[in-house]
Amino acid sequence: MIVGIDIGGTHTDAVCIRGRNIIATAKIVTGDDLVQTIRDAIGALSINYAGIRRTVLSTTLSTNAITEKKYAPAGMIVSAGPGIDPRRYFFTDDFHLVRGAIDHRGREYVPIDPGEVARVADGLKKKGITGVGVVSKFSVRNPSHETSISSLIEKDFDHVSLGHTLSGNLNFPRRIHTTFFNTAVMPVQKRFVQSVRQALAELGIRSPLFFLKADGGTFSDSAADRHPVETILSGPAASMMGGLALCDDLDTTTLMLDIGGTTTDIGVLIKGIPILEPKGVDIGGYKTLVRGLKVMSVGAGGDSRVSLSGQDIRVGPLRDGPPACMGGPSPTPMDALAVLGQLPQGDREKAVRAIAPIAGQLGQDISEVSRRIVSIMVGVIRERAREFIDEVNRYPVYTIFEMLHPEVVEPDRVMAIGGPAELLSPFIEESFDMRCMVPDHAMVANALGAALARTTRQITLTADTQLRRMICPELGMDEKISPTMSMDELKKRGEQALRDNASRLGILDKGEISILEEQVFNIVRGFSTTGKNMRLKLQTKPGVIDEWGEA
Amino acid sequence: MITAKKKTGLIFFPAYDWEISPSHPERQERLLYTQDQVMEEGVLDIEGITEFKAGLATEKDICRAHFCVPDVESRITPSHNVSAGGCIEAARLVMDGAVDNAFALVRPPGHHAMRVVHGARGFCNINIEAVMIEWVRKNYPHIGKIAVVDTDCHHGDGTQDVYWHDPNVLYISLHQDGRTLYPGSGFPEEFGGPNALGRNLNVPLPPKTSDEGMLYVMEHFVMPVLDEFNPDLIINSAGQDNHYSDPITNMSFTAGGYARLNEMLGPHICVLEGGYSIEAALPYVNTGIILALAGVDYSYIREPDLNPERIKEDPRIIDYIKQLTDTLLDLWNSRDNYEVRGEEIVRRSRNIFYDTDGISENQQESVRVCTDCPGAYKIDSSASTGYHIMAVHIPWGACPRCREQGRAWFDKPGRHNYSAVYLQDMDNDEYTVKIL
Repeated sequence: MIVGIDIGGTHTDAVCIRGRNIIATAKIVTGDDLVQTIRDAIGALSINYAGIRRTVLSTTLSTNAITEKKYAPAGMIVSAGPGIDPRRYFFTDDFHLVRGAIDHRGREYVPIDPGEVARVADGLKKKGITGVGVVSKFSVRNPSHETSISSLIEKDFDHVSLGHTLSGNLNFPRRIHTTFFNTAVMPVQKRFVQSVRQALAELGIRSPLFFLKADGGTFSDSAADRHPVETILSGPAASMMGGLALCDDLDTTTLMLDIGGTTTDIGVLIKGIPILEPKGVDIGGYKTLVRGLKVMSVGAGGDSRVSLSGQDIRVGPLRDGPPACMGGPSPTPMDALAVLGQLPQGDREKAVRAIAPIAGQLGQDISEVSRRIVSIMVGVIRERAREFIDEVNRYPVYTIFEMLHPEVVEPDRVMAIGGPAELLSPFIEESFDMRCMVPDHAMVANALGAALARTTRQITLTADTQLRRMICPELGMDEKISPTMSMDELKKRGEQALRDNASRLGILDKGEISILEEQVFNIVRGFSTTGKNMRLKLQTKPGVIDEWGEA
Repeated sequence: MITAKKKTGLIFFPAYDWEISPSHPERQERLLYTQDQVMEEGVLDIEGITEFKAGLATEKDICRAHFCVPDVESRITPSHNVSAGGCIEAARLVMDGAVDNAFALVRPPGHHAMRVVHGARGFCNINIEAVMIEWVRKNYPHIGKIAVVDTDCHHGDGTQDVYWHDPNVLYISLHQDGRTLYPGSGFPEEFGGPNALGRNLNVPLPPKTSDEGMLYVMEHFVMPVLDEFNPDLIINSAGQDNHYSDPITNMSFTAGGYARLNEMLGPHICVLEGGYSIEAALPYVNTGIILALAGVDYSYIREPDLNPERIKEDPRIIDYIKQLTDTLLDLWNSRDNYEVRGEEIVRRSRNIFYDTDGISENQQESVRVCTDCPGAYKIDSSASTGYHIMAVHIPWGACPRCREQGRAWFDKPGRHNYSAVYLQDMDNDEYTVKIL
């Protein structure tokens, strides 16, 4: 059995599956104590714990820690060399710029100064800082400055995070942010993981524990200890993966809508593969290198406040509380559905009383106004979904082939999950002019997404045969290579390294490896080729675990 | 978080699948390290700097600027549609007010391509700036005067040729002296055609000129001239081969100097031209130009191996440049004193070599001297490929007599064994080929 738990801001969903069968589901209100919430959610499933062999959590822990700035003070040691002044990306006094410069091919121009590093570390230690992030520019092309700084200071701190291990992508400012957040939330995450393990042990659950990441994949609890920043924004990832698990036809381009109380999350699945943010996700107003699904959040949900602006009906973007028919303060789309007799629960009279003033001001029939409220809400979602699609189609391309053969993303159907999905689906079909499917278990799709997400890993390999160097930042590989190394050899080396790493991470199924990017360029000196610059990105494909597919 | 003072659009099209040959300077990875640097510096995350997708220039877009012989299709590859299309997108963003300025960081380049195109010259098949300019004039008729400041190390003989007779396009080229570098032209006496005298200004700089000399010319010649000309649109043909590390030129310019130059010039659109120091110059020069366009501090952008003392020019070079600037200013200030008298048609004859494709061309050009419009002209062109054609250009805002003359040339080409006769009728947006 596999247990998936998605801890959301208001609700926590839990699901237990065996093979392709959903054995139990539960939905509870999220409490202040997340560990207790987990315990309660598992309890609500009423299952035999002995049979659980995998537990997956999607939590808002690190997301909230970052957005609410509830994290431990962390130090940062940054070496940059020439370029945009890195101090513009520093946001506390504990960021320190030190000597050192590496260029785009990973060649060292200015070495680090161990004395300076020691002085900076000493200062941080004296301030009582226990965690330090280390970032250098182009460390993904040559991690030696980060690793040398780390070896100089690691004895003095509880933990040291290195920028190059968090992502193989280029982007120095994002590397600074990502490494800082990783360092800062690490103590929070470590305490949490420990408490969860203890709580599970007390319940008699001895299964391995996994966490859901922003990219819709999972990783083990020990990996989450080291890279907690990757668990940010796992909520939207859970819903997209849940949608994917419930998708009956993977040959389509599906527009995913997770309609909640306050917001609706929009995403796209192309033949069963969710679209990723090309550079990394944003959190708390900061741009990071964290690989994550591209999800657009719209302030339009079932509980959004309905108001009048002149003669125009507005839906959202704020939520005042539950719908009026459930005792809330303001009219909402849910109340409109209640007026129309579409909402099985709630007090229709209260809904009528909430919407009547609007109908009165507009001088229109209350049913007509209610229909308009719902279609306006759906219309808001449709407009933003259009923007989302247009944005994806505007992504620049860098080859003539792609220019001449554009792959246009155009959804052919909608899949809606979340509380109000079922009720809104006819309105969505009308507004979007597309089939809208609402799968069974749509209410616990997030927990299902967490339960079924594969373990994922992405690695970046750069081989420079002139410098005779191969780097894989994510795996900490920095090796000397033969000047005749070919792309085929690089692929073999990369696949092997990824497989070894995947088995260490406890990937359950075979985890098919796919190539995300592959480029080979000549290095020319004078007019002759003196080497090759090869770039390769490999991943274990995101998706749902094989077991679920074997119906 | 950094916010740009000006909204800047970036069209980045490295054409990773196009090259002249694998070890040619114009090869696939030319912009690879630039992309690495721009990505690593997080330039595209700066609030106000946005990357946009390139577009595709159409055959008609190209016909507005060129007579392609025998036709457009056979003279270009799709890469040229994209690089010219990238420039058009950059112009569209600026003209529609989506951005304050834009940089078309595209390849292949174009400033050696002349109005008649028999093949590739100096790695260029079509003039991407000219295709863009003609697209702007067609779609935004309120744009009257345009200035092109070409800071590529090589004289932009193609752009000079395309606008030789056009009084509404001011072309200023700063380049390494033609006596020491391809294409061997670009001297002050190349001053514009009879109807456009003073609209073509060449600044041949001595080898080893560094930032100081280049910026001196900008401050004391280019900027005052632009102030007087008062263009509606300023374009920088942003070649980057004046850099001290460029393998095929002899200048000593730096990334910081290029950034300062663009800050001074304030172009609406920058278009990448040459620049073949793909690892040591382009990553830093391009980053510097983008930041300068966006009004973001670029003072820390520097080549890691930069030694300013080593590349500083000899004081004699500065003295020479000061004298040259004075001479050029005198020439510019006296531009209205020159006039072509007593002639109705002015002819010139010249030979053009297409180094990239090894083609020789002979041109006989006849332009109608006109005080009412830029003047119609025709070109009799025969090339070593065997093509012998005649091409007629009826300019934007042509007066009735020039229009009549142009039509007459096109309708009655005479007995010259032309294989085809070409027409550009700008105001009617008509581009016709008559096969004879």
